[in-house]
Amino acid sequence: MNATPTHHQLRLKYGNFSTLSEALDYAASGETGCNFYSGRGKLTHVLTYADLKQQAQNLARRLNGLGLSRGARVALIADTTPDFIRFFFACQYAGLIPVPLPISLHLGGHQAYVTQLNRLLESCQASIAMAPEGFLPFLEEAATGLDMVLIGGPETFASLEENQDPLNPLEPQELAYIQYTSGSTRWPRGVEVTQSAVMTNLSGIIQHGLKVQSGDRCVSWLPFYHDMGLVGFVLGPIASQLSVDYLSTRDFAMRPRQWLNLMTKSRATISFSPSFGYELCVRRLGEDFNEHYDLSSWRIAGAGAETIRADSLSRFAKTLKASGFKSEAFLACYGMAECSLAISFAPLNKGLEVDRVDGDQLSNNRLAMPFIPLLTDEEQARCSKFVNCGVPLPGYEVEIRNIMTGDVVKERESGIIFVRGASTMTGYFNDPILTQEVLSPDGWLNTGDIGYWVEGSLVIIGRSKDMIIINGRNIWPQDLEFMAEQQAEVRPGDSSAFSVSTPDGHEIAIIVVQCREMDNKKREDLVQRLRSLVHKELSIPCYIELIPPRTLPRTSSGKLSRSRAKADFLTRIQWEEVTTNLSTTAGSA
Amino acid sequence: MMSYSAILPQLFDTLKPFTKPGFQLKEQTELVAELGLDSLQVMQVLLKIEDHFDISIPLNNLPNIRTVKDLGEEIEKLLKG
Repeated sequence: MNATPTHHQLRLKYGNFSTLSEALDYAASGETGCNFYSGRGKLTHVLTYADLKQQAQNLARRLNGLGLSRGARVALIADTTPDFIRFFFACQYAGLIPVPLPISLHLGGHQAYVTQLNRLLESCQASIAMAPEGFLPFLEEAATGLDMVLIGGPETFASLEENQDPLNPLEPQELAYIQYTSGSTRWPRGVEVTQSAVMTNLSGIIQHGLKVQSGDRCVSWLPFYHDMGLVGFVLGPIASQLSVDYLSTRDFAMRPRQWLNLMTKSRATISFSPSFGYELCVRRLGEDFNEHYDLSSWRIAGAGAETIRADSLSRFAKTLKASGFKSEAFLACYGMAECSLAISFAPLNKGLEVDRVDGDQLSNNRLAMPFIPLLTDEEQARCSKFVNCGVPLPGYEVEIRNIMTGDVVKERESGIIFVRGASTMTGYFNDPILTQEVLSPDGWLNTGDIGYWVEGSLVIIGRSKDMIIINGRNIWPQDLEFMAEQQAEVRPGDSSAFSVSTPDGHEIAIIVVQCREMDNKKREDLVQRLRSLVHKELSIPCYIELIPPRTLPRTSSGKLSRSRAKADFLTRIQWEEVTTNLSTTAGSA
Repeated sequence: MMSYSAILPQLFDTLKPFTKPGFQLKEQTELVAELGLDSLQVMQVLLKIEDHFDISIPLNNLPNIRTVKDLGEEIEKLLKG
């Protein structure tokens, strides 16, 4: 078996197609395609775009035999397999809407997973659902009591009768897929993405964000049910006729070095990861490693999907410099499923640009005043660092509006980011109320994110709905979480900060920390240390609660959910304990 | 062919580095709830097991593995092929 080639004869088209099926039709006339690797680095499946087109059309005829109404939802458990991509495109050709659903990586998480799938199936009102063989029992259990036409594995669908009517693919104004995203796992939000929206975004990404060129090749271990995994690394390569090499998310999590092996082997040029992926690699590589990687072809190492942690990325660059990795390859980007995927990209070949601002000015006056150069220790301590996420893609209007007044802000004044453009969603599926909350009648999407402008570039600070306001002062939950995660007992992703209103109407800051330590004395020590650090840095009292590992709630895309953490906290809170605790702090500080 | 009773002591050895000093591993020990393994540690444990027994644990079986016993039985099943 040979992987599909990087270099090929087909003329490069930059995603200027009106639908996803049209993009595949064009890619199918070349030799490129997708390649699947095992966790031990073995090539297990090759799916050329030519075969994908033929197989997806064949499957589309079988789906058409089911007599579903146009636009009916097809739920697909999105494991990293050729079948997922076949079914996704079969839907495109058959006029059906694919809905990628997550897979579960949790030990002992059977019931939670089934419950999650059940909510998603119900939310999208799926008519049919497909799971790879091993996941079928979960899907069947999740569908109990739901009115569905057919649930099965790939073979079940392959044995359906073909309908010989001509195929009638989804058209530009119709939906391309529904993407479940941020928002809690309890109340799922299905983003409706039309063909024209996703094609607009893809051509923007290909032409302006990545400036795809002949000789590019992609590698990805991002899950297919995540916007960056799906749009960025399944649809993107097809829309730009590039070959792509896949490693499953689970195999990456278990053997992160396989990512680097695959990059070395395939001489890939484009690969993306949230900050944590780069961190995981560094952690597993250790200080001195013997493997010989060649990462010199890697021209775009994208970072996004969560707050970009510049320090983690520079550690990765430093560790792998000898393997030919260039820190200029880092590309910060900003986006969300509600905009298909991308909103802005930093310039290529520049690496990360970190904006250092006065944290006090930011929280007191919402002004991001630069600290250049840093003079005193006191300034160092007040310094907040944010990554510049670049200029919005052409076709987007972006406004940053004052949190209180709604007025458009000036340069370096922080506010909520609003976007309008051809690649924003039409709404959340079947949820007019939620849609109305974020999408205005004239098309402005409230991203919920806080940021500011620096010379036409967007700098992202965090999520507004998560902001903690204590006595009129803005506290960024990230800051509190960062302090918690600086403690030796706490790891990245182990804490969640938010504020709650006390019965007498005061806002207080809470940090919930996942803690493995069982010794009571050591636990108390951690709480005291963290509490005094918060007091020292921000001069606010803070209640710290330690909870068992793996109990912080996450969204369906795996991000920590502060709003859910807060909701959970409120169900178990003992006000008496909290207030006693806070007054002790105030006394001792 | 390795039996469950032969697998178990090897499994205890594999899990030992992930336990606190003095912790007594048993068949009924819950991997997440009692050992407090986070998702990345789970991946490390699985990696060690896969390499040690030269097997590949299918992803879809993870939600059904709760205890050391569940894991041992899964390994036995996979070794039988």
